[in-house]
Amino acid sequence: MTTASRPKGRTRINWAPYLLILPSLIYLVLFFGWPMIQGLILAIREESALLTLRSDAEQNSPIAGQLPRGMQVGILETQGNPIPPGEPAQGNLLTEVWFRVRGQDTAGQTIEGWSPERRIRVRESDADGTPTAGTVRSILASSADPLTRIYTEAGENSEVVGQMEARTAVEILDQATLEVWFLIRGENGNQTIEGWVPSRYINTLGDETQGRIEQGDTSQFTTRYIQRMVNDRFFWPALRTTLLLIVLIIPAQFVLAIIMALVIQAELKGSGIFLYIFAIALGISDLAVGIVWYSIFTQLGYLNSILEGLGLIDVPITYLSADTRYWILIAVWLAEMWRATALVMVIVIAGMQAISREVLEAAEVFGATLWQRIRYIILPLLRPSLQVALILRTILAFQVFAVVIVLSGGDIITVLSNETYRQYYELQNSNVAAAYAVFILLLSMITSFFYLRAVRTQEEVAG
Amino acid sequence: MTSAVDMQSKVVQVSPEVKAIHRRLKRRQSINRALTYLVGILISLWVLIPILFITSMALTTPAEVRSYPKGILPFIPLSTETMEFFLNSRGILPGLRNSVIVAVITLSLSTLIAAPAGYALSRFIFRGRDVFRLSILAVRAFPIVILSIPLAVVFLRAGIYDSVYSLALMHTALALPTTILVLSSVFSSIPYELEEAAMVFGCSPLQAFRYVVLPLVMPGIAASAIFTFVLSWNEVFAATILTIQNRTLPAQVLVTLNQSSEPYQFAGGFFMMIPALIFIYFIRRYLFNMWGQISK
Repeated sequence: MTTASRPKGRTRINWAPYLLILPSLIYLVLFFGWPMIQGLILAIREESALLTLRSDAEQNSPIAGQLPRGMQVGILETQGNPIPPGEPAQGNLLTEVWFRVRGQDTAGQTIEGWSPERRIRVRESDADGTPTAGTVRSILASSADPLTRIYTEAGENSEVVGQMEARTAVEILDQATLEVWFLIRGENGNQTIEGWVPSRYINTLGDETQGRIEQGDTSQFTTRYIQRMVNDRFFWPALRTTLLLIVLIIPAQFVLAIIMALVIQAELKGSGIFLYIFAIALGISDLAVGIVWYSIFTQLGYLNSILEGLGLIDVPITYLSADTRYWILIAVWLAEMWRATALVMVIVIAGMQAISREVLEAAEVFGATLWQRIRYIILPLLRPSLQVALILRTILAFQVFAVVIVLSGGDIITVLSNETYRQYYELQNSNVAAAYAVFILLLSMITSFFYLRAVRTQEEVAG
Repeated sequence: MTSAVDMQSKVVQVSPEVKAIHRRLKRRQSINRALTYLVGILISLWVLIPILFITSMALTTPAEVRSYPKGILPFIPLSTETMEFFLNSRGILPGLRNSVIVAVITLSLSTLIAAPAGYALSRFIFRGRDVFRLSILAVRAFPIVILSIPLAVVFLRAGIYDSVYSLALMHTALALPTTILVLSSVFSSIPYELEEAAMVFGCSPLQAFRYVVLPLVMPGIAASAIFTFVLSWNEVFAATILTIQNRTLPAQVLVTLNQSSEPYQFAGGFFMMIPALIFIYFIRRYLFNMWGQISK
C-alpha cells in the first residue's frame, strides 16, 4: 500500500476517514453485530420462561416469587385490574367489565363510583347498545356480602365510596374493561409460593380453581435448545457428514486449485480463455450446481447414459438413494470440487502474482524441476494466501447447503446448515435453529483459530 | 523464460556441450508447454462438460429431457419448450422480478456505503485503520447462516418479514465487506499523485475525486457491482429463510424442488447459471483484485 503511506494532517486529527467509514460501520453494527448477538440470545435464552407472582393484585406491588412455565397451579381468588396502556392483547387474557354508576347508597345519599358488571343488572341501553341504566343485583350466596361496594376507580384496589343495597336503581355513566387477575398457588421445589398474576398468563382449563402457567413474563438462561439440538436424531449425522465432506473436499480442492493456478500462470497463448473457463464456477449458485450434478447422477441421467453407451452396464444404476449413501457423498464431493475450486484458484493466483518472476526463472535456469519449484519456492511463498484460502473455504464448507438438498432430497444425508433450515422452516423452532447457527459459528471460529495457530507454529519451527 | 536462455547462448561462445544442454532445455520446455496445455484442456473439459449437459437439457424438448439414454446438444433437437415451461411455471416470473429487485438494491446500497470506506482505507492512514480492516476481513469470512435466523426473528417482530426490501438489507450486509475490500484495492490502483496534481491546478478534493479519480475507477466499481449482483442472485439460504410469499428465484426453485419435474429443475438450473456465464467473462480481470486483496 504505497499510496496509503501519505499521512494527512500530522498534528491534528483528520476526521475525513472516520466520516467516510462511518456509514459502513453503522451498517455492519446494525445488520451484523446486532443480529449476531440476537442469535446468541435466541439460542441460550428462553423467553417468558418464568412468571412473576405479586403479593397484591397490582403490577407494581412487591414480588412474591416466580414460577416456571407449564406448572399446574391452584387459583384461589380473582380480581379485575386496569390493563396497562399500550399492552397488546394476549392469548388467555380474561376481562371483566366495570360500570361507573350513580345511585343511592345505604345511607340514602346519591353517590357515584365504579362497580363490576357482575354486580349490576343492565335494564336499559341506548341505540348503540351502550348500557345507560340498571339495578344492583341481589347476592344469593349466604356467605357473600349482601351489599355491593362502589369504588372510586375501576378496580378493587381503589377506595370504597359507599355501599348499595340490592335492587337499587342506578344510572350507568361509563364503562371500563379490566383484566382479571388470579391469586395462584404453586410449588417451586419444596416451597409453596402464593401471589397475584394477570390472567393472560394462565390457562384456566375450563374450571376456576385450577390452571396452568401458559407463559411467563421473564426470560431465563436455558440449555434446553442446545440440548434439543444435540439430542436431535439428525444432529450427529449432520455433524459427521459436514466434517467428512470438509476432510474429503479441501485437500483435493487445494491440489486442483494449485494445478489450475500453475496452468494460468504459465502464460500460454489463450490463458485468458483458460482463466474464464476455470472461473465460471465462481459465479454459479450452489443450487444450480446441485441441479447440474443431479442431471448427471439421477437414475436416467448422464452418468448412466455414458456407461450404457460404453457398454459397461445394461440397466441404469440408482445412485441417489438411501441404500447408496456413499454415491450421494461422491456426488456432493464432485459438485463441491466443481463449484468451489475456482475461489481457491483465484486466491492462489493472486498470491502467485506476488512471487517475483526472477526467483522462479533463476530456479529454472539452475535446473530445478517443476516439482522442486513448487515444493521449495511456490508453496512456502504462497503460505499466507493458502492460509486465507483455507479459512475461507472451510467456513464456506460448513455452510454447504443447496448442493446437499438437491442431491439427497434433504434427508438421506444431511449437513448442519440443512438442519438449521429444517429447524427454522419445517419445525418452526427458531431457537433450536439459532442454536445450530451458533454451533456453526463456533466451529468456524475454532477451525480458523486452528489454521492460524498451525501456520504460525510452523513458521516458528522453521525460523 | 526462454529469453534468458536465448541471451545466454548468444553471448557465450557456444561449445557443443552447451548446445546439447540448450537443446535439452528447449525440448523440456516444449514438452512442459504441451503438458500444460493438456492439463489446461482437461480441466476446461471438467468445467465445461457438466455445463454442456445442463444446457442440453434446458434447450431441448421436455420429451427429450425425459428420454434415456440422454443426448447432448448438437445431436438432439434444439427447442425453447423446456425453458418456456419453466418460465411459465407458477412463481417463477414473480421470483425472477424479486431476484432482480433484491440484487439491484443490494448492489446500489452496498456500492454507496462501501465506496467511501474503500476510499478511506486506500487514501488515509488513521488510528483504527488496521482494526477496521481486520474486522472487515473477519466479517467477510463469517458464516452467513448465523445471521439469517436472528434477522428473520427480528424482521418478524418489526413487521418487515417476507419482503424483498428486508432481504436486500440482509444481502447488503453480506456483500458489504467484500465490496469495501475490493473498492479499496481499486482506489489503491489509482496513484494519489493524480489527485494531488488536480488539486495543485485548483480542484477542490471533491472535484479532484469527481473528475480525476471517478472516471478511472468506474470500471473497477462496475466489476464489483456485477459481482455483488451475482452474489445476491445466487444466494439461496437467507432468501429461503427470510421470505415466504415474495420468494426470489433460487428460493422458489429450492422450495418447489421436491414436487417438480426434471424439465423444470434442469431449466431452472440452467437459467440461474446464465448471469455467471456472462458476467464472469467481463469481470475476470478484476477477480484477483477481489480475492487477492483478502490475502494481503
